[in-house]
Amino acid sequence: MEKAIEVENLVTHYGDREILKNISFSIPKGSITVILGGSGCGKSTLLKHLIGLLKPTSGRIIIKGNDITKMNEDQMNEIRKKMGILFQGAALLNSMTILDNVALPLHEHTKLKESTIEIMVRMKLDLVGLSGFDSFYPSQLSGGMKKRAGLARALALDPEMLFFDEPSAGLDPVTAAGLDELIIKLNKVFRMTIIVVTHELPSVFKIADYVIMLDKGYVIFSGTLNELKTSDNPRIRMFLERQPEEEKYSPDDYFKVIAGE
Amino acid sequence: MKTEITDFKGNKRIKITGDIDMHTSPELREVLLSIIKKSKNQCVCVDFTDVTYIDSSGIATFVEGLKAIRASGSRLFFYGLPESIMEIFRFSRLDRVFEIFRTFEDAFGI
Repeated sequence: MEKAIEVENLVTHYGDREILKNISFSIPKGSITVILGGSGCGKSTLLKHLIGLLKPTSGRIIIKGNDITKMNEDQMNEIRKKMGILFQGAALLNSMTILDNVALPLHEHTKLKESTIEIMVRMKLDLVGLSGFDSFYPSQLSGGMKKRAGLARALALDPEMLFFDEPSAGLDPVTAAGLDELIIKLNKVFRMTIIVVTHELPSVFKIADYVIMLDKGYVIFSGTLNELKTSDNPRIRMFLERQPEEEKYSPDDYFKVIAGE
Repeated sequence: MKTEITDFKGNKRIKITGDIDMHTSPELREVLLSIIKKSKNQCVCVDFTDVTYIDSSGIATFVEGLKAIRASGSRLFFYGLPESIMEIFRFSRLDRVFEIFRTFEDAFGI
């Protein structure tokens, strides 16, 4: 298995609180890897480390043979040119049209002529089903459309690696399924390494080649989708079978907590 | 990326070798558009046999080329596309927009 990313002994904190607890895993090149886990397990924090937005307390993240945790902003920006990122809220610039939003990375990082850039932007918008929306502003689009426009921008520089943070969040099931199909197509045709952070099980079962599961800051699973499905780890079974957590407190303890005793 | 231009019975053949990407597309654009500008009722054919990679800037460059050549009355066509590149044209549905042939002989009917 050729590796796109290797994470070694990653530890990270928000203040005194340890979020990622000495985790290690690899992400295979050219496949769709899903980082799975319940709310608050550290998966979005992990994603921010993989794209170099956060620096860990300790540990290494190796991309193309280089430890990105040691890179300065200029070096990191070179690596980011090969990364496309779709954030949860799409992160479009509201004062720009959709065409200008998608063209922005091309203006920033290439010497392509405006006429070439416009054709490229229209190709990307068509790819995500937004042909004809070039001159619209983000505020004129629905949530699903904004997300697709964000994806078009993430694709602008033809990235080798594409990261999605909760792509289905806030989308209806049909739109979410359409986005899953698009993720699969991008992987198959362009052989992109795709990393998706999600807790949506239908999406995981549809798109994942490889799964990394986080629980309370630990990696409790890394392997293929089939291996995940047949795992007998109780925490994984609980997640896959959508069982609720056991109650945190006994009634007496609960009383003590709310009474401040 | 390297381009090599040859004449064939009054037509132009552009052989491209290497990657067509965001760094090399501006150079390809210059070559392609300057040939198209000079062409009149000619065929401009592009040999993809030794193209190792094409990204969306390369595809967009050929779209620009096709737009320009249609105005000049000449024809633009491709041959020798490796399967991985053909797949990208198919995915973007441009295989139905460009004239694409398997070989040079197929393209010229010889």
